[in-house]
Amino acid sequence: MEFFVQQLVNGLTLGSVYALIALGYSMVYGILKLLNFAHGEVYMVGAFIGYGVLTMAGGAADPVLPAAVLVPLMFLAAMIGSGLLGVAIERFAYRPLRDAPRIAPLISAVGVSFFLQAAALLLFTARIRNYDTPELIPFSVGVEVGPLRISLVRILVIVTAVVLMVALTLLVSRTRLGKAMRATAYDREAAAMMGIDTDRVIAATFFIGSVLAGAAGVMIGLVFSRVFHFMGFLAGLKGFTAAVVGGIGNIPGAMVGGLLIGLAEAYAAAYLSSRFSELVVFTILIGVMLVRPSGLFGTPALQKV
Amino acid sequence: MTKIGTDEWVAQVGERTEAYRGLTAPVRRTWNGIPLGWRFAAAMLLVALLPVATDSSYVVRVGVNAFLFGLLALGLNVVVGYAGLLDLGYIAFYGFGAYTYALLSSDQIGVHLPAELTLIVVVALTAGLGYVLGLPSRRLLGDYLAIVTLFFGQVFVQLAIHLDRLSLPWADGPVNVTGGPNGIVGIDPIRLVGVTFSSVTDYFYLLLVAFVALAVGLHRLTASRTGRAWRALREDPLAAEQMGLPVNRLKLLAFAVGGAVAGFAGAVFAAVQVGVFPQNFETLLLIMIYAAVILGGAGSLPGVAIGAAVIAVFPEVLRTPDYARLIFYGVVLGGLVALLRPWSRLAAVLAGTVVLGFVVRFATAAAWPDAAAVAPGGLVARALGAWVATPPNATTVGNVAFVLLVPAVLAVTRLRGPARTWALPTVLYLAAFVWETRLVAEPSVTRQLVLGAILVVMMTARPQGLLGTPRVEML
Amino acid sequence: MLVLAVLALAAAGCGGEDDATTGDTGAATATTDAATTAAETPETPTEPTAGAEETTTGPTTEAEDTGDGQAAPADCDGLSVGIAGPFTGDAASIGQEQLNWARFALERFNADNGTNFALVEADTQLDPAQATTVAQQFVSNGDILAVVGPAGSQEAEAVGPIFEPDNLAYIGMSATRTSLTGGDYPTFFRVVPNDDAQGPTDATYMVDELGAQNVFIIDDQTSYSTGLADIVQPLLEEAGVTVTRDSVPQDQTDFSALVSRISDDTDIVFLPWQLAASAQLFSQQMEEQGKTATIFGSDGLFSPDDFSAEGAYVSSFAPDITALPEQAELVEAYTEQYGEFGTFGPPTYAATQVALTAVLAACEAGDVSREAVLEQVGDVTITDSILGAPLTFDANGDVEGAQFYIFRIEGGEYVLVE
Repeated sequence: MEFFVQQLVNGLTLGSVYALIALGYSMVYGILKLLNFAHGEVYMVGAFIGYGVLTMAGGAADPVLPAAVLVPLMFLAAMIGSGLLGVAIERFAYRPLRDAPRIAPLISAVGVSFFLQAAALLLFTARIRNYDTPELIPFSVGVEVGPLRISLVRILVIVTAVVLMVALTLLVSRTRLGKAMRATAYDREAAAMMGIDTDRVIAATFFIGSVLAGAAGVMIGLVFSRVFHFMGFLAGLKGFTAAVVGGIGNIPGAMVGGLLIGLAEAYAAAYLSSRFSELVVFTILIGVMLVRPSGLFGTPALQKV
Repeated sequence: MTKIGTDEWVAQVGERTEAYRGLTAPVRRTWNGIPLGWRFAAAMLLVALLPVATDSSYVVRVGVNAFLFGLLALGLNVVVGYAGLLDLGYIAFYGFGAYTYALLSSDQIGVHLPAELTLIVVVALTAGLGYVLGLPSRRLLGDYLAIVTLFFGQVFVQLAIHLDRLSLPWADGPVNVTGGPNGIVGIDPIRLVGVTFSSVTDYFYLLLVAFVALAVGLHRLTASRTGRAWRALREDPLAAEQMGLPVNRLKLLAFAVGGAVAGFAGAVFAAVQVGVFPQNFETLLLIMIYAAVILGGAGSLPGVAIGAAVIAVFPEVLRTPDYARLIFYGVVLGGLVALLRPWSRLAAVLAGTVVLGFVVRFATAAAWPDAAAVAPGGLVARALGAWVATPPNATTVGNVAFVLLVPAVLAVTRLRGPARTWALPTVLYLAAFVWETRLVAEPSVTRQLVLGAILVVMMTARPQGLLGTPRVEML
Repeated sequence: MLVLAVLALAAAGCGGEDDATTGDTGAATATTDAATTAAETPETPTEPTAGAEETTTGPTTEAEDTGDGQAAPADCDGLSVGIAGPFTGDAASIGQEQLNWARFALERFNADNGTNFALVEADTQLDPAQATTVAQQFVSNGDILAVVGPAGSQEAEAVGPIFEPDNLAYIGMSATRTSLTGGDYPTFFRVVPNDDAQGPTDATYMVDELGAQNVFIIDDQTSYSTGLADIVQPLLEEAGVTVTRDSVPQDQTDFSALVSRISDDTDIVFLPWQLAASAQLFSQQMEEQGKTATIFGSDGLFSPDDFSAEGAYVSSFAPDITALPEQAELVEAYTEQYGEFGTFGPPTYAATQVALTAVLAACEAGDVSREAVLEQVGDVTITDSILGAPLTFDANGDVEGAQFYIFRIEGGEYVLVE
């Protein structure tokens, strides 16, 4: 039984990260109908910024600040840095293509992705960087649930993800900006005619999505330690899958999609075989898609005649 | 292009003659006056001279790569450009074709069929695979189709890696079908009608012929009823269905044709490389094929061909640091020439940059005694080495300069008027500084950097691709 | 906050590395005055000498006279050696280390020998298709007389047919597939032992020394990994050990699920992986879940900076280069200029050294051709190789006298145990 619960924790940790990345994809798609393939690189930059802060503070083994201060600082720096990067990408790589055929921004996104990966290689070299989290927050610090021990790091990650997702939901449903975002997503021209500054709303959407990605980057660094230039590509793929499974453009869908993928990966690796975990995940997704072609939470696209 | 109606043709005459302006107008007018078929033949004839013009097998190999890209791009163009279906698993057809050819022409399962038969089998099987993989496209729209096809692409690579231990009930031990991560080696060269294609040049001509045949075939297909039906499907699937077009069959046909083309290309690729490995079919290649199609202009045959050529050739040119440097400075200067009017302003900016360079070099001479000898290389390299300041710890300074350069360039594109003219020399010098200090030391990374930058710039400058028609999407 | 982010980026970029370059950056000017000729016994290229020809150039203990070594003959001008590897893409952490060591080797060789050889770099991204294109580039470039790399075994197989007609020697530093030196690739050499050498060493140690009864083998789905695992598994099973086998993609983020499947009976977890950092994560997650099995890694894990799980074993084809006193100066020079390194760098240094030595010997003998260089590579002996033993090739192209050393990690340090 505890094995099952262990996988639950594993899956939730991984799933939270995927969910945060998927949210960025979904939000941007909802507003612009654009698949932002550079989103993974924003996440990678967030992870590196967190690493940078950690290094500036002396490294995990001997930090200048206590962990309780350092970790939130890492998060904050990464989130803001990634957010700004996302806004910059939108401004220079996507805005000129607002009215172009939908496929054009894809290549622009790919170009941005290449550029950021190469920039990371140039600035940080190809060495795989390590957060060395156990030095900062030892594994022994954690919560005991029966024979199972859940380390603090994982709890931190899951809780932070939940907090961020709740904050996002509140933002979208309760604030004016959220209302503007929903309106722009529904019909951009009409929203503009109603006096909403769509450019700013779109920039805000990118900012928020990238902030989440930056947070995800730091989380991955904390739990899984390895930070390197290519991580964005791989995680981006999973995040994109999660977003689509949940119904792309749909915020609760992205959250559920991400968690589903994380859990699927954990359970498949645990009970079947790690070898085929990727395949199993994809098979589940295909199954979902065939049953509900618009994703779990997606509304079947109404075709206007 | 079939003339739909003489009225349209007549109506467009004025448009055609008016458009030619500028220095190259007479050339362009004559060129476009020649019927398409002759233009294509002329272009292909020029290309066919490539192996004769150069004695470098490398250049010919790049040509072979370009043709492979061209075939793939044409095939993808059918699926994406004509039928408007976003197929992110296209690479699976390429791989399937390659592996099938490998299995039928190597010692892997001990079968060595003659190439005439193998190629037909490969094309037929891949078309069938295309049909099967196209089945979900009937129910899934747009981006959902993308994810499903992406899945197929990943599954293919996974199967290629794992099918080296297949337990079959009638076999003794696990059967090695695909060779796993080690792939299949020792593939027979293509032997058609007695001719063995063994050298790069041989394959170049084989692919040239195949490309021409395919281009002609696709052109006729585009002009036919099926082509028009596809275009209708792309423009508005609902309306197409309402007009009675067999939408599902069209989609499946698009997948099958695209698949068949990719399968053929894959077979030739396997013969050229004399081996197939799972790493050949990673997502990166798929992205490059898409880049080829979109850069060239999805839906336009010549555009896609040119896009493929660019995507195949450009990264190779960027491999050599000297050429990369030429391209970098060439593009920067070209961009300045194109954007800065009048000439006086351009001259002022360039002069300002040069002066600034010497000023900086003078100012930093005390702090940075020239650590390195004058950079080796041609005249240009040495001149640049003398002009740009060289810091002793090139890596750190270069990195910082790079981090400053990127926002600076972005900012300068936002400035207008005098502010821009004043800011340009600094930014230009910074760019040259970063290039000479840091980027030139890392050719492989720089190559990817420049490639990414070029993709972004080209798409933002011309979203419809080189030869695509500007289209506006109504959401 | 933006300032903080930018500073953080910059700091991350220079984290842990001192960027001061030592001395001049390889600006060895070619002394084209051919006043001095080589001191070696000249040989006509058509008759191979019986026995190894001694060309004992190479880094020795003390920093020897830099810059005023014997002047290279005029023939040696403008020659280069190619290097192919994954310098970008997902294997870049391996490729960049190899590249840096190759550049380092070139600098030192040029300084020690007064040559002005150059290195032509080509990125393959571990894709055999790109490797073949790059191979064509090397073949077409008349100045390139030998090639270092490519890194992957598949790439090495793919480029063989291209190099062979031109007799271009290529020296692998990380391609360990056994079949590469089985005779199909006559111009291929490698400075690291192949899988057939490492597997039995590891298996024997696990059974005899560690007394393992239950071993969990996990490969990372690369050619190197599956090859090695496929050799070790039957050896263990023959010795009566219970073997469980699984595999995980190299880019897997999370190993927790896999770790939780390690049973309590498992004595050893064998990880023939290429990325030491992944193994470090794996070990951390093992600790997190309270698993007590010992990790045994192959040479891919030999990276003191990346993999430091206490009590783990790692096998390596060379004694720890950082611990050899003879190499201390070299290691220090490298670390100062380029930073830390793992297991893929030193073999690249050796391979580059071999290539350059062979080219120098060929042009000193007056025959600047690829055939001559190929022969020289076959005959070369480097007595004080960075890998700790005299380096010479056997008839197949494998390095002679391949031996594997087992290390145990104690207190963060790699301690030689066998």
